[in-house]
Amino acid sequence: MGAVTYPNEKVVELIEKYLVPIQVLFDSQPLATKFNIQWTPTVITLDEEGKEHHRTIGFLAPEEFIPSLMLGVAKCHFDREKFGKAIPMLEEILKDHPKSDAAPEAVYMRGVALYKSTHKADPLKDAYKRLLAEYPSSEWTKRAKPYSLL
Amino acid sequence: MAKTIKWEKDFDRVLTLARAENKMVLLDFFNPL
Repeated sequence: MGAVTYPNEKVVELIEKYLVPIQVLFDSQPLATKFNIQWTPTVITLDEEGKEHHRTIGFLAPEEFIPSLMLGVAKCHFDREKFGKAIPMLEEILKDHPKSDAAPEAVYMRGVALYKSTHKADPLKDAYKRLLAEYPSSEWTKRAKPYSLL
Repeated sequence: MAKTIKWEKDFDRVLTLARAENKMVLLDFFNPL
């Protein structure tokens, strides 16, 4: 991560825009115990109160790390029902990084966020249709399958 | 000169900054070896 991903200009810009970054040794206490660190690199997205919302383990190249970070920020908003902030971030992932590993989860989360903010089932059905069409082998497509029955 | 990530080291300071700047926190655990 330190040799390839973190020096990447787009990674630097994204972090600067949305995140305050902190880097600590894998055995740094009390954080390593608090966050149950078993392997490195482990990258966690927290809200401003220190609550975890997203975690990745292992190396990610910039083209995967950027959408993963965006997903983390979106999940911080989603988990606190700030759907007006989560949805645009999820849509940005799908617009700019549709081939990334984060994209199918972004489709799923966008559908749920739209459902929770409108109380209409259509976004859930649409999410499943999109997942089936664009990411047929994704685990998120399997998770969304029940929405086809709505 | 290329921009680089300005890593913080103090967790409490990071939370204070995140609140002040309306940002989230990126916490990276690394192994220097």
